[in-house]
Amino acid sequence: MQRISQKRRRLMLGAAATAALAHPLSVLAQGAEEIVIGGSIPMTGVFAFAGVGINAGIQDYVKIVNDAGGIKGRKVKYVPEDTGYKVDVSVAAFKKITSQNKVNLYYGDSTGFSKTINPELERNGNILMAGASFASELNDPKKYPNQFLVGPDYTEMFGILLKHIAKEKPGAKVAFVYSDSEFGRDPIEKSEAEAKKLGLSVPIKIMTPAGSVDVSTEVIKLRRAAPDYTIFHGYILAPIPEFITQGKQQGMKSKWMGTFWTMDSSTVMKMGEAGEGFMGVMPYRYYYDTEKAPMLEKIRAMRPEYQSTAYMQGFLAAMLFLESAKRCLDAGKPLTGANLKAALNSIKDFDTGGLIGVPLTITGNSIPVGRVYKADMKAQKMVAASDWIKL
Amino acid sequence: MMDWAYLFEISLTGIASGGLYALAALAFVMVYKATRVVNIAIGEMLMAGGYLFFTFAAMWALPLWLAIPAAVLACGLLGAVIERTMIRPLLGEPPISVFMVTVGLSSVLIGLVEMVWTADQRRLPEFMPSDPIMVGDAFLAPKVFWGAVVAAVFIAAVLLVFRYWRGGVALRATASDQAAAYSVGINVPRVFSLAWVASAMLAAVSGIIVGSIGGISSSMGVFGLSVLVVVIVGGLDSVLGALVGGILIGLVEALAGAYLGGEYKLLATFVVLVVILMARPYGLFGTHEIERL
Amino acid sequence: MRIGTLKESYVADAALFDSRTQHAWLAIAAALLLLFPFMASDYWLYMACLVAINVASATGLNILTGYTGLVSLGQAAFMGLGAYTVAILQTRYGTPFLLNLLAGGVVAMLGGIVVGIPSLRVKGLYLAIATIAASFIAHFLFANFQITGGTAGLSLPPARLLGMDLDTSFRLYWLIVPVTVLMLLGAANLFRTRIGRAFIAIRDRDISAEVLGIPLLRYKLLSFGLSSFYAGIAGGLWAYFFRVVTPESFPLSMSIFFLAAIIVGGMGSILGGILGAVFMTMVPELLKLIVDLLSGGAGLAVFLSPVRLVVFGALIIGFLVFEPLGLAEIWRRVRRFFHLWPFRN
Repeated sequence: MQRISQKRRRLMLGAAATAALAHPLSVLAQGAEEIVIGGSIPMTGVFAFAGVGINAGIQDYVKIVNDAGGIKGRKVKYVPEDTGYKVDVSVAAFKKITSQNKVNLYYGDSTGFSKTINPELERNGNILMAGASFASELNDPKKYPNQFLVGPDYTEMFGILLKHIAKEKPGAKVAFVYSDSEFGRDPIEKSEAEAKKLGLSVPIKIMTPAGSVDVSTEVIKLRRAAPDYTIFHGYILAPIPEFITQGKQQGMKSKWMGTFWTMDSSTVMKMGEAGEGFMGVMPYRYYYDTEKAPMLEKIRAMRPEYQSTAYMQGFLAAMLFLESAKRCLDAGKPLTGANLKAALNSIKDFDTGGLIGVPLTITGNSIPVGRVYKADMKAQKMVAASDWIKL
Repeated sequence: MMDWAYLFEISLTGIASGGLYALAALAFVMVYKATRVVNIAIGEMLMAGGYLFFTFAAMWALPLWLAIPAAVLACGLLGAVIERTMIRPLLGEPPISVFMVTVGLSSVLIGLVEMVWTADQRRLPEFMPSDPIMVGDAFLAPKVFWGAVVAAVFIAAVLLVFRYWRGGVALRATASDQAAAYSVGINVPRVFSLAWVASAMLAAVSGIIVGSIGGISSSMGVFGLSVLVVVIVGGLDSVLGALVGGILIGLVEALAGAYLGGEYKLLATFVVLVVILMARPYGLFGTHEIERL
Repeated sequence: MRIGTLKESYVADAALFDSRTQHAWLAIAAALLLLFPFMASDYWLYMACLVAINVASATGLNILTGYTGLVSLGQAAFMGLGAYTVAILQTRYGTPFLLNLLAGGVVAMLGGIVVGIPSLRVKGLYLAIATIAASFIAHFLFANFQITGGTAGLSLPPARLLGMDLDTSFRLYWLIVPVTVLMLLGAANLFRTRIGRAFIAIRDRDISAEVLGIPLLRYKLLSFGLSSFYAGIAGGLWAYFFRVVTPESFPLSMSIFFLAAIIVGGMGSILGGILGAVFMTMVPELLKLIVDLLSGGAGLAVFLSPVRLVVFGALIIGFLVFEPLGLAEIWRRVRRFFHLWPFRN
């Protein structure tokens, strides 16, 4: 009795196993001749505020293009996956999307992901990638030939700020306050050298441990260095307002500046009193900028509520993606990574419709252009404090 | 040449921020003293208190004198719920099981906070006096100072409560011998609930103060790791140890940050932890546990 | 309840797999493992490799925590040691990958022994907290030295086998899975030997174990060493799999993940380690699938990450409250049911 059961059991399980294996685990789900933009987007987790904006930005631009008939008759398909800003989830999403679609363009959510996926990109050979990262390391066309940054890298951002400072106050003292992470440490060394070249001095560099709550000791150190300008990098919001509040209380006369991820309008407005006059570098126009910008007006028509700078970043990324695709197809070349990159690098004096205030030229992996904006707390807006600076 | 003024200023700030640690450590000790449970989710309970305050004060715009007690009470309720659903069923299980439950709890709390309030960083409305405190030439940030004052007040209150109030004595009795406490007529399950509620309320106060300094975010809970070091140094079940340990760790962090650099802060803290674990494993004031076969 | 298992020699009695049914199951499992890579898409191969690495590391942690009773929250740090060793050797010296893996295991083992030294003075939760400290110290070392590439980390070229680059999930599968299987067999065999029994004795009552003549410090250090050796090799495999190693790659939350995996799977059994690692690695993917099905778009996806956290925590709490012996116990119950079927109970 038991023997028969065993055999039957074995047969049943064998059949089940074969059935399971025979089920195709990969399905090619894509219309013919579509241009596919894949995305590992951090729609939840610590970077969610950016991820949601980026997702909306890419979606909107793809819609604009599709409504106008696509690129040379081909429709554009956007396939995002949420990653929670974790590298391994990001990589898994990449594998999933590329196994289910023929992907031409990909948006990555972090520096870690961009570095990890690079060898895979090279092997795949058919994808051009951009992402939310502005890491200086990625700005190397030899090491990262299939990737590009949608703006200046962090060192270039510092460069823009330093150039502005050197013009406003030659020989000034500039302090760097940055977070203990790859994000924070990225531009510090090179920027210190750049500052010296511009005739500025860096009296102190303060690194704060990640997740630190109380920065009183650091503020004391900063006060003793008595800088004319203080640049914060590697943070989104905290601990900048605390630094500024305590610094002002201690009588510091420094001007306060930040880099891209701090400079979203809603983030700066959260600083309250401390944010009055806060400056920073922003490569894009803000949603509410009233200078002539046809693309901004289109965006405002599509989305009546405020859209963050992350949205602008996603929108511009999609724009550059599809412009490269268009130039590739115009030249009759197949959509491979190398061809798309070459097409991207052929972009000269390109008009983004006002998203960036000056025409773009992309010779390497980044777009070293930006403007210094200042916070006007009364108007609850960021206003331009300089011209568009090109490096 | 030593810059004494600098040293004094740094030390002052260190001691005051140590007061913040002490308050959170007190919440931890409260639970351990009564129930022998190591609550590693203390940082997340702190975060919950901060977010509840944010909801009452900023989102519902309640006046401060209403918002603060409301947040504290709400957090106390949370503590009671946690105790009933997750800790009570594990009575009698090995301590590592309960420890892992609190690990799971911290995950759940972070997830809930992210679901309701998103993972964005936020600032709490300002409510503490903002005049800088000057001790001679040395400057002390007002928030940190007042936070330390609040901490000292609560610690003194708790010490008195444990000494003189029946409930406090019951807590100590339950901590030293559950069976004996039962036989004397103490309602042990009620004491457990009380301990968790009190701990949660203290954590809420701590969270409000810490949140008003550094803002609130879903990753605020890492504060709990430093608190863990403080209670190990001070003694897991000693209220006085929480105070002394907090001040000591605050001082060590401030000095390390000032003289060595920001990246050494956490390292210095954990080196102190390892030293204490090797030299006096039960902390400076903890009761020595005798292992019986 | 198995009948008809008569043994006629000591060797047969002590064998790991002793009945024909078990042999049959093993054969099926081996066949499935061999056929899987040819049937699966890139995504599933990727998941399989990740699961295998997690199984290896979880088994190591099981040796330390499940069998010896020493709670450790430093497993990720030891994996980091192994990963960095492999990365440094591969990028600087180009040594063959097997050698690198072994070196990674050895370095991690040494690290484990150092961390284990306080284990005689310090017990239980205090030891767990000491391992947290070790985790942070390791992170500091990784982030602040030139040789480890600082905060940017190291990226390494793929392992080479017979002139072929192991750079796709398909090829890496053939490296990772056999190594993991070997490690599993090693661990299972460990608990048939004197050393394994000593570990179990230490877990049950270490003072009594010492009275019985087991030198505590030596065996505790051995346990730490073995478990971190496993972690080191898993870390090395991780390095070859992801090809980028940074200080952020091995955070405390990863150690918590492994501890959760063995709790959910069932501490103190090899099967528990396997089930736990597989389950905890696949749950986030399953969640994603469910959320996708429920929302059909990006609507509910905003909640995916926090839901994942809540589910993770709830699983730990749930298993501890309702099934402290983990998935392995559930598996045993199911097996018992089928053994008696069709006779009910």
